[in-house]
Amino acid sequence: MSFFTIKGTVRWYALLIFLILQCSFTVFAQNSINVAGRVTGKDDKLPIPGVSVKVKGTGTGISTDKDGKFALNTTSNSTIVFTSVGYVTQELPASTTMNVSLVPEDNNLEEVTVVGVTIKKKDLTGSVAGITDKTISELPVTNVNQAMQGRIAGVLVQSNDPRPGGGVSIKVRGNNSIKFGADPIYVVDGLVIEQAFNTINPDDIASIDVLKDASATALYGSRGANGVILITTKKGKSGEGKIEYSAWVGVQSFTRNLSYLNAQQIVDLRLDAYANKYMDGNPTADRQAYINTLLGPNSIAFGADELAVYNRGESYNWLDQITKKGIQQNHTATFSKGGEDGSMYVSFNYTDQGGLLKTSNYKRYGGQINLDQKIKPWFKIGTNTGFSRTEESYIDGGVFGIAANANPLLPIDDKITYLSWKGIQSTDLYNPIRSLTIDGKGKQNRLLTSNYAVATPIPGLNIRTGISFDVRSQDYFNYIPKDLGQSLRNSYNGRATQKKESWMNWQWDNSVSYDKSYGKHNFSGLVSFGLTQNNYNYNQIDASGFATDDFSYKYLGGAYLKEQFQLGSDFVTNSLISYVARFNYNYDNKYFATLTGRYDGSSRFGNGNKWGLFPSLALAWDISKESFFEGINVDALKLRAGYGIAGNQNIPNFAYRSLYRPVFSDNSVTYVSDGRLGNPNLVWEKQKQLNLGVDVALLNSRLSFSADYFVIHNDDLLMERTLSTTSGFKNTIDNVGSLLNKGVEFNVNAEIIDQEDFKWDFGVNLSSYKNKITKLYGSVDAIYNYGGFTGVDIQREGNLFLNQSLNSIYTYKFEKIAQQSDLERIKDIDYGGRVIHPGDIIPVDVNGDNKIDDADRIVVGKKDPKFYGGFSTNFAYKNLSLNAVFNYNYGGKAISGLYEGLLNGSGEYAGITDVLDRWTPENTNSNIPRAYTGSGRYGVGETDYAIQNTSFLRMAALSLSYNFTEGFVKKAKMSNLRVYVTGRNLFTITKYKGYDPEGGDGYPTSKMFVAGINVGF
Amino acid sequence: MKKKYSLIVLAFIVLLTSGSCKKFITEDPQTALTEEEVFKSLDNIEPLVLGLYTSWRNTKKDRGGFIFTMGTDEAQQGAYQVRTDDRQAGIDRYNGFLSASNTALAEQWNSRWPVISAAAKVVYALGLNSEESERKNIILGEASFIRAALTFEMTQYWGEIPIIDQAKFKEYGTKRQPLNMVYNFIIADLENAVKYLPVSQTDKRRATKGAAQALLGKVYLYAPEASGAKDYAKARDMFKQVVENGGYSLVPKYADLWDPTKQNTTESIYEFKFNNVYPDNNQTQWQMGSRSLAEVDQYCYFGGYDLMVPTKYCYQTTADGGVWEDGDVRKNESIRYDFTYKGKVPTLNPAFGGDELDPHVKKFEDPRTEGTLSFWLSGKNIFYLRYADILLCYAETLNETGATSQAVDLINSTIRTRAWNGNLPADKRWNAGMSQQDFRTNIMDERMRELCFEGWRRMDLIRTGKLVELAKQRNKWTKESGSIQEYHNRYPIPLQEIKQNDDISESDQNPGYSNN
Repeated sequence: MSFFTIKGTVRWYALLIFLILQCSFTVFAQNSINVAGRVTGKDDKLPIPGVSVKVKGTGTGISTDKDGKFALNTTSNSTIVFTSVGYVTQELPASTTMNVSLVPEDNNLEEVTVVGVTIKKKDLTGSVAGITDKTISELPVTNVNQAMQGRIAGVLVQSNDPRPGGGVSIKVRGNNSIKFGADPIYVVDGLVIEQAFNTINPDDIASIDVLKDASATALYGSRGANGVILITTKKGKSGEGKIEYSAWVGVQSFTRNLSYLNAQQIVDLRLDAYANKYMDGNPTADRQAYINTLLGPNSIAFGADELAVYNRGESYNWLDQITKKGIQQNHTATFSKGGEDGSMYVSFNYTDQGGLLKTSNYKRYGGQINLDQKIKPWFKIGTNTGFSRTEESYIDGGVFGIAANANPLLPIDDKITYLSWKGIQSTDLYNPIRSLTIDGKGKQNRLLTSNYAVATPIPGLNIRTGISFDVRSQDYFNYIPKDLGQSLRNSYNGRATQKKESWMNWQWDNSVSYDKSYGKHNFSGLVSFGLTQNNYNYNQIDASGFATDDFSYKYLGGAYLKEQFQLGSDFVTNSLISYVARFNYNYDNKYFATLTGRYDGSSRFGNGNKWGLFPSLALAWDISKESFFEGINVDALKLRAGYGIAGNQNIPNFAYRSLYRPVFSDNSVTYVSDGRLGNPNLVWEKQKQLNLGVDVALLNSRLSFSADYFVIHNDDLLMERTLSTTSGFKNTIDNVGSLLNKGVEFNVNAEIIDQEDFKWDFGVNLSSYKNKITKLYGSVDAIYNYGGFTGVDIQREGNLFLNQSLNSIYTYKFEKIAQQSDLERIKDIDYGGRVIHPGDIIPVDVNGDNKIDDADRIVVGKKDPKFYGGFSTNFAYKNLSLNAVFNYNYGGKAISGLYEGLLNGSGEYAGITDVLDRWTPENTNSNIPRAYTGSGRYGVGETDYAIQNTSFLRMAALSLSYNFTEGFVKKAKMSNLRVYVTGRNLFTITKYKGYDPEGGDGYPTSKMFVAGINVGF
Repeated sequence: MKKKYSLIVLAFIVLLTSGSCKKFITEDPQTALTEEEVFKSLDNIEPLVLGLYTSWRNTKKDRGGFIFTMGTDEAQQGAYQVRTDDRQAGIDRYNGFLSASNTALAEQWNSRWPVISAAAKVVYALGLNSEESERKNIILGEASFIRAALTFEMTQYWGEIPIIDQAKFKEYGTKRQPLNMVYNFIIADLENAVKYLPVSQTDKRRATKGAAQALLGKVYLYAPEASGAKDYAKARDMFKQVVENGGYSLVPKYADLWDPTKQNTTESIYEFKFNNVYPDNNQTQWQMGSRSLAEVDQYCYFGGYDLMVPTKYCYQTTADGGVWEDGDVRKNESIRYDFTYKGKVPTLNPAFGGDELDPHVKKFEDPRTEGTLSFWLSGKNIFYLRYADILLCYAETLNETGATSQAVDLINSTIRTRAWNGNLPADKRWNAGMSQQDFRTNIMDERMRELCFEGWRRMDLIRTGKLVELAKQRNKWTKESGSIQEYHNRYPIPLQEIKQNDDISESDQNPGYSNN
């Protein structure tokens, strides 16, 4: 099972040698010239002494002097090679005056560790975009995803959880998979990791590279379909040892809250709603008299306490009771040194994020050790090892929503168990102030370690073996005190939960790679073999009945409701075998070709379907290196093309089998199906990706531009689909169809002004994609997403329709708010039990059959943005610099359940001030439905009436920093000192009516003001 | 050099192909049995069948357990719930919300098929099994019984339904089958159950021969004419066996039937077992109790949230136009009229629906929870087949087969005698000269008095053709809406089923219903 047989190798070598013989010995006429010049560093413009300056292919050479100067004699057609430790080697054609600036190696990390092999970044021929530590340090962030937000074309990062330590969703090139594994994989120093990406300290990251197309992701075969995010941690830099310390402190607050109706407005609305309902049934009655009864004793619309609050003119804001300002801080100290034979990098990090909700908090302690050392001239070992510990305090999930939507007519009271409306307690509305006493804690330890040994028996040949571990344990603790509604409702008498999870993932990779250049032919190739195994287990105990709340979740032995004990545990292992072969070839750095093949076997699929082959081919042409391009004022012009297949195996374990588990019920064990029909025919999801790209650099590289176009055919889409229960099962995992995803990405960087004292640069990226479902299984043209309270409602989102976007919104179409004049027209339409009065919503009878039924539901929009991206700009005047980062998103639609709920118009629940402009007989020109209580009309959420536009422009960061002058720094015995202030999420321009077009409706987004310092010794 | 290089490559290849690949990527579930394993041995099939009893039982708990009882002449939704949930309200209102997209009904449809299907797999697997035959046969009887009971319930409400038979899956698929096939299939299953089930089981969750006989009798009695399976004589004979040889008897005190300390009595032919510990509680009190009491105390055992309350007809006396005669002890055991709690009568919150302190269903009250547990944890057993029901059915078949006086005598001497605590007054004694037609009318009221809220009413109304007439008269919401039609004798096939089942299309919908 190998691509690489000995016979094949020999043959292949013969071919290569043949090519070399054909091309390499060309002879030109030669003249002697004197070459002189100066070598400086690109960034600091300081002279570099001791640079080796050699004439390529000869023994002639010299070193630069202390001013970086050199002079030598050579032939006119020769190539001069500049080499210095810590800098990228440069080769330039000889000329009489050669002023050369060398790029420090650290800023242009040449190598990146992919699966068990280190390859040159430029060999990742496909569509790759990334950022480096310089960009990361511009923003005070605590996790990897925040650092990428708005910075990389084709990568959509959305913060949708503002809780401290909260997660971020990330999509590379839109959606490619439906449900399983829509997120990219993360590869940290060669180790593929899953989940909990916020355990990685962004300060330790040297570069993040996002592999977007199959020619790049093919290396990850079965796991690369949704993009790959390569994270390379820092290494010790050559030269003098460095100590660096950076820290920032920020104050966080919610950007805005919705404008909720206050107590008086709620009363007015409810009166209107009740009166409208009453008048519908009694058209000739006295409306005002009825309203007066509602405001009197024994009101059917108000609790006595509500009326008392109303009469006192008060209004209560429950949200204020549970929110606070969040203080965040982050400290990182790093120690590094590099030398001829090795380097070391050690860092320590501490992050403390106070949440915006009382009792919520997130802390992370971490450390990183990166070492590499040559043991023998031909043998090197190294490790990249990081440890992190996170400690979280949770607030109960429902608290924010309950508090935000609490009744403003209800006086703040921490004694009541449930909140109420109309004096009726709702057992779902747990008093949020009391809920703060729920003791929720999360603790996590993680060790990520990648270790390798490389032998280089002959130059260019690397034999590498690497073993990596991701060891993670996570504890979750929770205690619900006895007198809370959450406990009373279910008679827990105090409820303690302990959940302990543990992951042990290992990856063993072995590779042989070979680099060789013959003249202008540059060749590299590798073969590798890897084993990966992921082990997971958990156990959970829920115990009830505690004599005292004092011990919280800590003493389960004291729980007396033994019958209510619940135990849970599971053990899951899955494994992957992979073979990779990859060949790179370029001719004269002009023509590039990369051929990759990966062959994966996965335990997630049944016999006969375990193995998948994922090939790719990438080609590139650097036109600017062509001789006909000489004299044209273009610094770089490169065309790229790539085609490949990537896979997705990220489905639940054992989806190919129907499973039964023992369930203990009523004193005996029974076997119960988990409801999923095993599908032995499951196969890999396969993405065939084509990528075309161009890179251009103009005006001495001050203007650079790159564009990519991609087409992705995703076949055998994996999805969980619900089944007719007559099958005996509720759902199955299936390869349900095909998806076509097309798009473009642009990236422009411009150094607009580049003077000694004043610099201004600007970068912008824009991405756009469109997806369409091109095939569904069998002859079906729709797969519906059922859900809701009973699990049988067709949902508005998550349905799949042939020839529509994956992210369609499906519902009835809103026609208009009914006016008196419409009633005649619609009187014969069957609204399925509903009655429409003036001021109510009229849905469109799409098929005109005078009946609103399932056939009138249509796709009314899609959630995909038309385009999205970010831009950033940097002004630097002397030591002062101002940096701004923006994100934008245009043309997407979304359902805001929150906003729809607030438009209910009954005054019996929370409302939003838009309702003040509602339809009334006097205000018929309104687009807000009339007030009404009870059911029987179309609700706001039943049509596309309130579908929101998610376009936005956000200033993600504005940062002002000052770099202290060299003189000052030296006096203070430092190597650098920078201070800055940053504002995050200072403003967002959007029409979205919920909390945030990006973050959704769980919480408002937060903004933060930060002050920080970077100091180096 | 070349040789050295080749050797390295060779070593590498050996590593690659070292044989254990397949093993490495074969992971079996460590904490679950596969379907093959489950159906392979009786030791696994038996707990699976126990699991089916539990799944079947779970269709009878909580809200779902009462969906079919609402919209009848004995019970209706509470006023607060009926105005807050249009779709659920449609069950009582028989309006446009009682349609294919009615989620309350779809939930009932969906919860039953997996049980039927798993029972069918058991029946099929046992056919291939060669283990000890006695144990195997009992399990076969049980699986047949469960499949029959659920299929019977489904066809009563939905009419033509799929037949799930593993052996004939290719032929039947999952399309709707004619009524005669459906009923013949049910009867065949029950005949097997009668044949194989033991007379008694120590585990009271498990079905017995008597249960199978009783149910088979009911199937003959309840089968619609169109099925060709309706047969009063066969029903009578089956009931006769249960009544005379089943070993069952009425408990002397009607009140004892509802005492949680006295479960699985001689009167119980089959009952669903619950207790006060989640997930074996049944939440019925949460649904049946009064919101006014819940407001006072969540641990008051007759508090709840008024999902379903008795109709006026069902709680009033004959003097007021209701069903109850003087002195019938069943009235106060079945229905709660008094809401005094800890010496106080709660006041009605004016913002409530208005019927929170009207009479409520009492049969499911679980006094064991009082003061210590939320009524959510109520967990009394719920009757499925009760001897009193079989006596009533038996009398009915006697009447239908021309033995009216014998039927009257049976009712007087058993059901009604107990209803007056063993001492039936002469004026409450049914007249032996009662006409066959009068008996039909009277037995329906007697069934309500004896069996109200126990889950048979809708079927009784459907089989006697009285659903439309009586629901319109007696159910407040049905009356108010006025839209009930003959076609409402069946429920609509859920929209989800039509969309997901390749064998059922829109045109297969029950008549009268639109697919909205």
